[in-house]
Amino acid sequence: MANAPVSEYRGNIHQQQKELMEDWYQQLDHAADGGDPPTVSMMVSGNCVELLEGFGAVPIYPEVNALQLAIRHQSLDPILAAEDMGYAADNCAYVKADIGCMLKGITPTGGRMPKPTLVLCNFVGCNTYVKWFEHVAAFTGAPLYVLDVPFLRGEEPSAADIEYVVRQLKEVVQLMEKLTGRKFDFDRFRQAVEHSRETEELWSQIKHFSQHQPAPFDAYFDAITLMGPLYVYRAKKEGVEFFRSAHAELKSKMDAGEGIYDQEKFRIVVEGPPPYPYFRAFRDMFAKWKACAVASTYSTVGGLWEFGFRHDPARPFESVAMHMLAHNVTNRNYLQRYDQIRRYVQEWKADGVIIHFVKSCRLFSAGQGDMRDYFTRQLGVPTLYIESDLEDPRYFAEAQTKNRIDAFFESLEHAKQTSGRAVAV
Amino acid sequence: MRIAAGVDVGSTQTKAVLLGDNGERSILARALVDTGANVRKAAETAFDKCCQIAGIPQSEVGFVVGTGYGRYKISFGNAQMTEISCHARGAHFLCPGTRTVIDMGGQDAKAISVGPSGEVLDFVMNDKCAAGTGRFLANAAEVMGISLDEIGPLSLRATRPVKIATVCTVFVESDILSYLSQGKRAEDIMGGVHLAIAKRTLSLARRLTIEPEITMTGGVARNIGMVRALETVMERKMLVSPDAHYMGAVGAAVFALEKLGESFESSVWREHAVSSGD
Repeated sequence: MANAPVSEYRGNIHQQQKELMEDWYQQLDHAADGGDPPTVSMMVSGNCVELLEGFGAVPIYPEVNALQLAIRHQSLDPILAAEDMGYAADNCAYVKADIGCMLKGITPTGGRMPKPTLVLCNFVGCNTYVKWFEHVAAFTGAPLYVLDVPFLRGEEPSAADIEYVVRQLKEVVQLMEKLTGRKFDFDRFRQAVEHSRETEELWSQIKHFSQHQPAPFDAYFDAITLMGPLYVYRAKKEGVEFFRSAHAELKSKMDAGEGIYDQEKFRIVVEGPPPYPYFRAFRDMFAKWKACAVASTYSTVGGLWEFGFRHDPARPFESVAMHMLAHNVTNRNYLQRYDQIRRYVQEWKADGVIIHFVKSCRLFSAGQGDMRDYFTRQLGVPTLYIESDLEDPRYFAEAQTKNRIDAFFESLEHAKQTSGRAVAV
Repeated sequence: MRIAAGVDVGSTQTKAVLLGDNGERSILARALVDTGANVRKAAETAFDKCCQIAGIPQSEVGFVVGTGYGRYKISFGNAQMTEISCHARGAHFLCPGTRTVIDMGGQDAKAISVGPSGEVLDFVMNDKCAAGTGRFLANAAEVMGISLDEIGPLSLRATRPVKIATVCTVFVESDILSYLSQGKRAEDIMGGVHLAIAKRTLSLARRLTIEPEITMTGGVARNIGMVRALETVMERKMLVSPDAHYMGAVGAAVFALEKLGESFESSVWREHAVSSGD
């Protein structure tokens, strides 16, 4: 596009994020030399990074590796390598990209990946992970622990659910003690939970900044930048410092009335992860319309904190279990997800909802057609449904996606002109 | 008289319409060319042809809005709008009671909910698959060795339409060949093909609230068999304008005219007005 508006805000947080993430990859590279620090392969969603701190262990997130590949336009080769081996076209593309990397001996950053001390399958909301992590364990030769987190069936987990997860967390502690030869440092664990509580409070406040008009940051695209430190460093002093700095930076933007565009024209809520192989092109499609995401469900995959939940140093194991069971978007039931988006639309004053269906993730995406019906028919909220994939570039049709997004904003614009309103909520 | 144009560069054909306003709006001319490989040339040819038919020099056309997939390739265009907005606006212009538009083009099938001012309230489209589009019909016609103009009337003579299980534009060929080998009548096969597409379109449209009046637009609207099949499965009458095929271009021309009359403004097309590419 010849004259697209500047689509993103680049502040100190972006540079600090880059440095933190590079530091994380260096720690992993260093661990490849001989297991120091210990490393644990884990799922982002509902991750229990606090527990790892009790051993000074560093997380490996296969999803983050996969998305890093995609955003660097390098995901197709490993996906094809996995398909050559027999993984089906319909398999999760994150899985195929990660497995393909192992087959081809590559990493997203070019650095080394250690053999994990433990493959911890905390399969929160995604049963594909059981197979994925079994395969990771098989490829790396690392021991596997499957941490079974029951789906949230009602509003809150039962006492039995919490106890069930806590007992497993304690088993993980025992297993890690055996594997590392280190004694679990309970005080350090409790301190990590306290750090998480502080980070979560800052992050929650940042999320609420985008209720302001104009929003000082994009709570989808910019939130993704902040998600790396949130999942890797949340339970560390560096994480608290990073989010304190981000909080100050974004608050000052908010107080100065600065948005991400010269003029914020549309406010949207986004459901679903982005198409990482076309991240820039996708963002520009919204930037063209000066549309700012004021909230997103994807930024709550690793934890949902803007509605009040915090880790609790007085009950460290129980609060880690509560986080895994009830306070990340993928383990919650669909009606709760509807309600989360409804609150975003109403409390964050959005003009419409964008649903991005992920072709290779049926578990997250199934039911989004009904979700669209709920918002358009029952709440009268303009809702756009688009399909592609978070990792596999073959599923992204740029012209079609752009056409739908343009038509959606045209319709919002016409609605504003004809009725003077943007949304029927 | 204010004169504006709409040019709809579709995947198969390019349509151009000139709209005049001297207190009353009317279509001055329309032109149709095959899009082919040179999208830019197709747009120029259609626009040029349209001006020639109307006997109006291009310099008198005050504003040109391009639409369709090739809209950004229209070198002489002042602005671009999606065909979703344009079909809704065009249908509202020619059939003001329109509340639902079913548009079937060469590679797209879409359903659009239209507001009382011709604005898009909601829309759904086929995704990355040509099932339920003109291409599906064209493939079926080719396998049968029948021209596209004949398949609609032929389908109306079906007495026992076959069941076409697939909606895949590629696999429909093997379904048809199988029925031919069983000695099924061409009428019944084409009747089945039309019903299969109509049912698929219905399931697409059901994602919206289907409200009358329903206006059918796009090239496939010229196929009487498709119109009747849709009416059968939707249990509703379809409005089909003689300009159904041109509806996207008509809507684009309406936007262009409104821009000239300053009754419509877009935040985005001002940017495109100085942009020659995308």
